[in-house]
Amino acid sequence: MSVASLGGTAATSARATAPLSPEALGYRIPSLPYRILIAALRAVLSFVFFVAVPVAALAYIHSRGLAIPVSIAAVTTWGIVLLSLSAAKYVLKPTVAYGPLSVALALVFFLYLYYLLSLSPYRFVVPGGTVSLAAGYALFIEILMIVPVVEMIAGFLTTVEDLWSPRERLPFDYPA
Amino acid sequence: MAALVVPLYRRPPFIYRLARLLRWVGVFVLVALVIFAGTVAYSAYEVAHASIQSKSFTGVFVSNGMIELSGSFTLTNPGIYPIEGLVFAAHIANDSGVHLTTINVGPETVEGHSSGLFPIVAWLPISASSAAESLLFVDQYLKVNAWANVTYAYMFPLSVALSETRSWGAPFAGFHATVGTPTYSNGNVSAPVTVSFANHASFVEQGSLSFVLESPASVACGGGSFSLDVNPGSLYDQTQYVTLNTGCNPSGGLLEVTLTFEGSTTSLPPEPIP
Repeated sequence: MSVASLGGTAATSARATAPLSPEALGYRIPSLPYRILIAALRAVLSFVFFVAVPVAALAYIHSRGLAIPVSIAAVTTWGIVLLSLSAAKYVLKPTVAYGPLSVALALVFFLYLYYLLSLSPYRFVVPGGTVSLAAGYALFIEILMIVPVVEMIAGFLTTVEDLWSPRERLPFDYPA
Repeated sequence: MAALVVPLYRRPPFIYRLARLLRWVGVFVLVALVIFAGTVAYSAYEVAHASIQSKSFTGVFVSNGMIELSGSFTLTNPGIYPIEGLVFAAHIANDSGVHLTTINVGPETVEGHSSGLFPIVAWLPISASSAAESLLFVDQYLKVNAWANVTYAYMFPLSVALSETRSWGAPFAGFHATVGTPTYSNGNVSAPVTVSFANHASFVEQGSLSFVLESPASVACGGGSFSLDVNPGSLYDQTQYVTLNTGCNPSGGLLEVTLTFEGSTTSLPPEPIP
């Protein structure tokens, strides 16, 4: 019986008879330091787009004497939590924690969007006090909520897959 | 035996493919929305910097004792997304808070890379005893409360509220119509009627002002008319002698004044004759 034909039970069957190397099973997992390094680089890049740029934009609005739609502390806190979870998810991708972490990340992202949704519309008064504006963005956030919802479903499916057939996905996630 | 094992390509399991597809959908939606939000922000920035151009209001006297104020504003949309559902409303009240008129525009749409010209018309009731009668004679500040609603880029509603005061220059500021002491000459009795005012309005007053001297018993003792062609900011002060009907004494009566502009007439509040 070839390894390929064992499908999802290849690792279990192999362990029962003779230990097979990951390469023999068709995957090669990068080392932990390498995964940490890549996760850190991704986090830095994401930090620029999802924390630094929004915070800079909010600071600019605030400097013009306008009320800001969401506090800088909130954006920073939510952003750091999301980036940390994202980095942990990447580092732990070869493990069974990947699925639950995906669900957790998507859930936190969903809650963040829900928090932003609760702040719509953004109301502010133009300095001088004669003109006030209210800008709504609820529909945009609601459409954006599709992202964490499908991520949550994907994470749930991965969790089920890992419980049902451990390491089944590794040859496809880390092909040798 | 292990060394002989050769991994063969096989199709990923369904659950794996489904999870991967969902992740790709999530990434695609996220990237698409981020790009969309970026272009919306840039377009909105361009719109915000394209100032709204408004033409100054012009006023004319129209029938039914109204002043018609007409103007327009141009909204330029240099962005790529349309401005939809533009609705504009303004309530104008006088110094005392009495509602004078309402202005409504829309709903209108300004497509991307285009501009829209929107006319504005307001009618102010200035006939005797109407809410805006004082606008004829008294300079004052009008309270303007305006609202505008639009939807930008299909999914971003924007509401603007404006509250300000605008100065109003009365077309007959300090209006006085006085009747002087009657004089006798060649068997006729005549009385001087003097009309004076300043045109503080932004429009030219072209027309005529007719008047009738009435006795306390509301009998017409005589009348006449003044021709008006008064530029904004100009003073008007004219006197005319009116021959009174025999036996008719206007003293203690009323001076009835009627304005006629381009076929429309407006009665001014009667002035008592001493």
